Amino acid sequence: MNGFAALAPLLFLVGGAILVLLLGTRRNGGTNSVQAAVSIAAIAAAGFSAARLWGRAVRAFGGQLRFDEAALFMTFLFLLAAAMAVLLGMRYLVRHAMPRGEYYGLLLLAACGLVIMTATINLLIVFLGLEVFSVSAYALSGLNRRDDRSAEAAAKYFLIGSFASAFVIFGLALLFGTRGSLDVHQLALPETGGSSALALTGLALVVSGLAFKIALVPFHMYQPDVYEGAPTPVAAFFAAAPKAAGFLVLLRILVPHFQTGIRNEAIIEFLSAVAVATMILGNFAALRQRNLKRILAYSSIAHAGYMLIAVISGDPAGLLFYLANYLFMGVGAFAAVIALGGPGREILDLDEFAGVGRRYPWIGGIFTVLLLSMAGFPPTGGFLAKFYVFSTAVRAGHLGLAIVGVLTSLVSVYYYLRIVRIMFMKEPERELDVDTENPAVYLVLFLCLYAVLQLGLFPGNIITLIRQATASL
Amino acid sequence: MTTVAVVGLSIVLFVLGTIAFIVKRDLLTQFMAVEIMLNAANLAFLGLARGSGRLDAQVIVFFVMTVAAAEAAVGLAIVLHIYRRKKSIKTEDLDRLRG
Repeated sequence: MNGFAALAPLLFLVGGAILVLLLGTRRNGGTNSVQAAVSIAAIAAAGFSAARLWGRAVRAFGGQLRFDEAALFMTFLFLLAAAMAVLLGMRYLVRHAMPRGEYYGLLLLAACGLVIMTATINLLIVFLGLEVFSVSAYALSGLNRRDDRSAEAAAKYFLIGSFASAFVIFGLALLFGTRGSLDVHQLALPETGGSSALALTGLALVVSGLAFKIALVPFHMYQPDVYEGAPTPVAAFFAAAPKAAGFLVLLRILVPHFQTGIRNEAIIEFLSAVAVATMILGNFAALRQRNLKRILAYSSIAHAGYMLIAVISGDPAGLLFYLANYLFMGVGAFAAVIALGGPGREILDLDEFAGVGRRYPWIGGIFTVLLLSMAGFPPTGGFLAKFYVFSTAVRAGHLGLAIVGVLTSLVSVYYYLRIVRIMFMKEPERELDVDTENPAVYLVLFLCLYAVLQLGLFPGNIITLIRQATASL
Repeated sequence: MTTVAVVGLSIVLFVLGTIAFIVKRDLLTQFMAVEIMLNAANLAFLGLARGSGRLDAQVIVFFVMTVAAAEAAVGLAIVLHIYRRKKSIKTEDLDRLRG
């Protein structure tokens, strides 16, 4: 396979980003819809070129770039998330007077970084991909330059993010010194030589750095602030895509455990403790929030805890299915927040949602289905995803984790249904100022609704894809 | 022996950087602490390259330096933006996001 054919998805994304940025410098050629169309075209081209690589076990650049089916599956998720974020942003950027070319360009570059992170088994390349994503993400979260909260979110995200990156790179240095390689397959196995303490420290640093990016407890503190302060379409992109990339890297590190049977119990125990803390804290902290974006942030932390169970019990298929579901639930929920916003202003406080569902039954209804899916009600995809994860955990002997998962899911039902109750059961307190001419956002909402129901009722096709993807790990 | 000394120094630097990041309450100083942590990693890579005679570690250092430069470019812009809006870069003045 020619190296540049394997590079095509990345080249399309970067090329699209540069083109959008250049269009932004022109006075009349750079209208919003042109830039959005160029971005969508670049994402579609990247998607088609990635689809052509399916089933070919592509290795390029001396094996450093490795598009196996798992990486390609993730690439499709990232591209979907980016495309939906472009659609969500179109009207939002105008409404909030934000710079447009930068938004689309940085979004494409962030997606590109995530693809790099997943399409390799060398941890140095993972680090570089992580940085390509992170640097774009810091700028994206501060893009609303008229809003103090956006600037604050960018500052917090930047500080914590670069702190986490320093952890990852120092961990890599220790691992390189003790193992002589940064290949993921050799890292997690128990140490045989004398330098096991250094190697374990290195691995712990790398895993903590990844935990920052996935926002697992106790590395989650920045996440609610970033979600609240960042522009909502950016938060929608952050909801699922970076978590998916972090989880795939974590999975790749742990795969030797499940294939060889030689287990490093220290890592499993550490991750189990983190999973329990993440599920409990995420769900209980969400209970006392009044701001919708913060509720969604804590709910995403809780979902990361459930996904970590799938990693611990060695269930890559369950993890990928959960990630696919969460992508649509997370983006869809933020899409609903955007759809209910007015010109220059968003409704975020829970009390302001009173009666919204009666006034706008379509948006309220779709939002309700997405929230039910997050809580894990059948027949939605969220139910199946949780069912797969918990049942595999029981079979793998992690009964305690499954019990905590089920109990915290019950807690989460309360705060999801509270939103639904406020939307439908209460009378509106005052006239709502909702911008209804927003077809791109409605498109995203219907897509998420369709995906969540499709994944819940007829998951056969996607499970076939996931089987092929996990076979390549 | 020299390898052990260099790696030992890098670990000390990394721990100092971590402590400084946690203790200080100033965006710029915290950012400098992160830079020290990154450079501790560079030093560790160089010490290991010297010890084992392998060149890949030296190449990694160039990657890390590039990453640090990119982070500094975006990070300083963010700090400057915060200063323009708030006339302060103390972390306790970043208090709009709470919950």
